[in-house]
Amino acid sequence: MDDSARRLLQRIMRRIPAQMLKPTLDKWGRLTAAQRQSMDFTESKWALTEKLLAICEENEMTVKHITELEMIHVIENPDHCMWYALQLMDPEEDVHSVELTQFKEQFKSHLRELIRHVSIKIKKHTDEAVWIRIAWGDSFSRPNHLKPTYVVHHLQTPYVFVTSLTSKLKPLLSQALVLSTRYQAIKDASLSGRKLTAIRDLLMRQYQQVFPTKYPSPLAENDQNASNILINKEQAELAASRHQKACEAFGDGMLPQLQSAVYKLETKFRDHTNKTMTEREEAFRCVVKFASTNLLESLRHCASSGIASTPGTSLLSSIPLKGRNYFVITDNSPGPSSQTRQPSN
Amino acid sequence: MERLQSSVVRTPPNSTVVQRRSKSYRQSYRSCLGAPSRLGLTPGLTARRLNSSRRALKSHVITEKVNPEHLALLVKTEWRLSYVTPLHQFRHTQLKRYSRQLSAFIAAEKQQGVAMEVEGSQSGFRVSFSVVQGLAATDDDAETVLIQIYSTPVFARQDEPQKSVWSGWLTCINGNPEYLQSLPKGFTCLPLFGGSGAEVLTSLVKSWFQRTFDCCFGPLEINHTSLQWLAALWTNCHTESNLQHLKMIWTLPVVPPLQVTYTVNPQDAWELWMSVRKDRLERTEEEAEAGSIDIEEVVRFVQGLKSHFYRHFRLDLSAGNLNQVSTTLGSAKSSGKIKISNSRYMITTLTLLTECALLKMPI
Repeated sequence: MDDSARRLLQRIMRRIPAQMLKPTLDKWGRLTAAQRQSMDFTESKWALTEKLLAICEENEMTVKHITELEMIHVIENPDHCMWYALQLMDPEEDVHSVELTQFKEQFKSHLRELIRHVSIKIKKHTDEAVWIRIAWGDSFSRPNHLKPTYVVHHLQTPYVFVTSLTSKLKPLLSQALVLSTRYQAIKDASLSGRKLTAIRDLLMRQYQQVFPTKYPSPLAENDQNASNILINKEQAELAASRHQKACEAFGDGMLPQLQSAVYKLETKFRDHTNKTMTEREEAFRCVVKFASTNLLESLRHCASSGIASTPGTSLLSSIPLKGRNYFVITDNSPGPSSQTRQPSN
Repeated sequence: MERLQSSVVRTPPNSTVVQRRSKSYRQSYRSCLGAPSRLGLTPGLTARRLNSSRRALKSHVITEKVNPEHLALLVKTEWRLSYVTPLHQFRHTQLKRYSRQLSAFIAAEKQQGVAMEVEGSQSGFRVSFSVVQGLAATDDDAETVLIQIYSTPVFARQDEPQKSVWSGWLTCINGNPEYLQSLPKGFTCLPLFGGSGAEVLTSLVKSWFQRTFDCCFGPLEINHTSLQWLAALWTNCHTESNLQHLKMIWTLPVVPPLQVTYTVNPQDAWELWMSVRKDRLERTEEEAEAGSIDIEEVVRFVQGLKSHFYRHFRLDLSAGNLNQVSTTLGSAKSSGKIKISNSRYMITTLTLLTECALLKMPI
């Protein structure tokens, strides 16, 4: 087992939390029964790492085997890196006939054509997602397994999610993706976050949405602590209508856990009390960042508690509506413009 | 002095000014400010606020007056603020003695078992008190005192520079002259305290001061009005030193709490500020007022920023709390932390904070 494999294994062991070690190693399935029994999971992680290194030496494992372990861990816990969403555009006619084996072969061959030394591992996860792990090298050096890029693509959808990717390598990956999925272009979806599940749900609208209705909603039956009966009676209808509008704008029930949203505003300052600024030709430049442990939940609460008025028309409702969390707002576009930004690593 | 004291005693019983019977019949700070209203029917209430107008930030080049080492320490460190009641029998000439006493106090507390998570549990501490000359703005201000605690490792080489593990200072910049002059003899007023370093050492220093000078420490939060003042005062300086950005952080009280970071381009913020000032200057038409800034202008400035925000997001920031204001000139947090990154504006920022400290002090 060479040095890079050893370092990779140590790195993976550091990342896997102690209680997940046994199930992950079992899933990996590369240890014999005897070896598995010899691992005492009550020991310290450092001791276990040493033991595992010895076992891997015994089994003469290579970097390829170790990367399998890393991939299993990342698929189980995708929430530790920043994910960026990309969207494939302009499908060709035969886009629907792309199935897994064809995609795999095409992707590998296209990427290998573009860059000589690259290590690709493709795995289909249970929920229709295809996971790809790419270790990049260049014409002179072997692939660097310590800085891999993970790509998740749901076949039959135009969405792709990627982790750290330098601007040099992005065009190569984009090209390979476009060719193997039978689309014509790929663009940045202006959506990023740590929780893969959250951005996936947001983009693919896999959460409870509420559609606007004209009729009083059943949401009014939500339980409310009756502290003062008269006040509650007066406020009940207003509160119910606010709650209904909030859910229409942001969704009902569990919402995807997005952590932040950034708006770059380049609009003119308009305030009837301030003539000088209103007459100004240039835009008033500012950047607003919203952050929370669950951003959509906070925004929905703002709307239902009245802190935000008319949530449906505000820029904030664009987050679930368009499935984005980065916007550049200029005067020319009534809503978010289609400007994109480069995901930084 | 006599006349003023007796009139304080005669304040009506429903007044909110409480007279404390300590060995120092100090005149209440608040009653000082309310001089015109003392003869009226509502004493004290009008006094409980910051100056509604203050002189505009003039960049004071203090680098020539103040020891550059001291300046380097004061700038670029984030300080946790407290207010301090006046110190009894504090002498600027006795600083060496105080250094020794505080060292001994810390050593004694350590022996008693107060846990000190400072590197090298074997090390002792050396305390150094010094005067930072040149900061005091008026004759009434007492000179700023700087305290530094160095750790002295047991096996230190001769030439090894000692590591500073804690620093703090006490200051009074442009303190209210009526109040300062009304203090009885023997009291030194240094109402603003800033500390940086291990929390344990901060509380030890404070308890030593409390014992030795019969004073009282309390946390000084920077309230939302002061933060708005700082935002406006710093923006006012954009032409002299590039702000790079005006950043404000609000927290909205929803579940889970929502944090809004509103960063404004400095040139645009400055133009908004100037437009607010221009309106006011046109209206008052007094040349003498041009140098000072009114609270109304500050409020209108921040209101302008909030309404621009509202126009886009339909969220009223007034529903939340302003927690932090920062520019390249410094940053201030509502929890009472301040960082002054540019020595030119130190005097004005400290003036504002001294005022906050004097107001927050219990009588």
